[in-house]
Amino acid sequence: MKGVVLAGGTGSRLRPITYTGPKQLVPVANKPVLEYAIEDLKEAGITEIGIVLGNKGREEIQRYFGSGAEFGIDITYIVQGEPLGLAHAVGCTRDFVGDSPFVVYLGDNMMREGIADLVADFDPDKYEAGIGLQQVEEPSRYGIAERRDGEVVGLVEKPDDPPSDLALIGIYVFTPAIFSDIEALEPSWRGELEITEAIQRIIDRGERIQSHVVEGWWKDTGKPEDVVGANRLVLDDIATRVDGTVEEDDSITGRVELGEGSVIEAGAVVRGPVSIGTNTRIGSNAYVGPYTSIGDGSEIDNVHIESSVTVGGNELTADQKIVDSLIGRDAAITPGDGYRPEGSRFVIGENSTLEL
Amino acid sequence: MRIITHTCSDCGTIVAGNVLEANRVMQCPGLDCEAILRFDSLPAESREYLESNHETLTME
Repeated sequence: MKGVVLAGGTGSRLRPITYTGPKQLVPVANKPVLEYAIEDLKEAGITEIGIVLGNKGREEIQRYFGSGAEFGIDITYIVQGEPLGLAHAVGCTRDFVGDSPFVVYLGDNMMREGIADLVADFDPDKYEAGIGLQQVEEPSRYGIAERRDGEVVGLVEKPDDPPSDLALIGIYVFTPAIFSDIEALEPSWRGELEITEAIQRIIDRGERIQSHVVEGWWKDTGKPEDVVGANRLVLDDIATRVDGTVEEDDSITGRVELGEGSVIEAGAVVRGPVSIGTNTRIGSNAYVGPYTSIGDGSEIDNVHIESSVTVGGNELTADQKIVDSLIGRDAAITPGDGYRPEGSRFVIGENSTLEL
Repeated sequence: MRIITHTCSDCGTIVAGNVLEANRVMQCPGLDCEAILRFDSLPAESREYLESNHETLTME
């Protein structure tokens, strides 16, 4: 079985972070979101993977994953160009997929339990598709599946009167029959080919769709608060790994990852779970609190930071308390002491948010 | 809606027909691939389809 990862979105909900890079490379616990999808596919025994790319951040993703050899997989890149919908993205993979069933994984989704069970359960002799579902608390906010005897018999987008509380989580197994259904689609009101409409066609043809209810957490990392939330969930499971230098053992409590070339100076306080990348200095007056990930090549001192994600190359040295934040690459928060007139000085890009 | 693609014979990167239609002649987007991809190399009926559906295949 082959795998297809959809990584063509524009990341508009993650601006300004995505002005300078694709959303699929935003780090969660110092690893790009897309790498979690690749790992899940690999864990399910899938090593031939097609990554569908849009115009945004295409080269960064190609540079990061290369041929896939470093990750133990073989990658084919598929350039979709314009974001013409998930069904269009899947349709572009036809030559890559060939005649076998294949898994589709949305590249900005994360799942705790992976997809091995879902892939192993799929029976292409009985079903034309398999859909990953998860119970949600507010079904009217999601695409919802209607089930009968464990099979999907209908789909409805953001229903006022939900037929179930099982949401589509963006993991599918398809047989190549899906390509004919995609070709029969016309663009929706938003100008996209909708994957839910292609799946509905399978149902309308009287074919069977297997459902698989996924346990463990599932996270769409489309918005800044989702990235911070996903970071919390991933850090909950990390183990201590210190490849850098801790000047005083008392500085750290709980589980901490510390990358090569990084240093936690004497006097600093780091309370795990925390992930610190490579070549980063945690200065003697810094407090790094639980559920924080600090990116590579950063300078952290004097600041109190917790439950936050910094992408990398950051200088955070202001005497401030930073919580629940997502801080983009090379962004700096430094003290303004000594400047007159007194006050905060900002250079803020479009779509930035500050809550002071 | 038909979805037309072209596979680079040098590196295997697959490019959507609407990307070729918009660029006409382009370097293959495969990393470090120097192949030149041409809209004209698509079959005539594929070119015709892409050109007549240009609006549908363009978001902006």
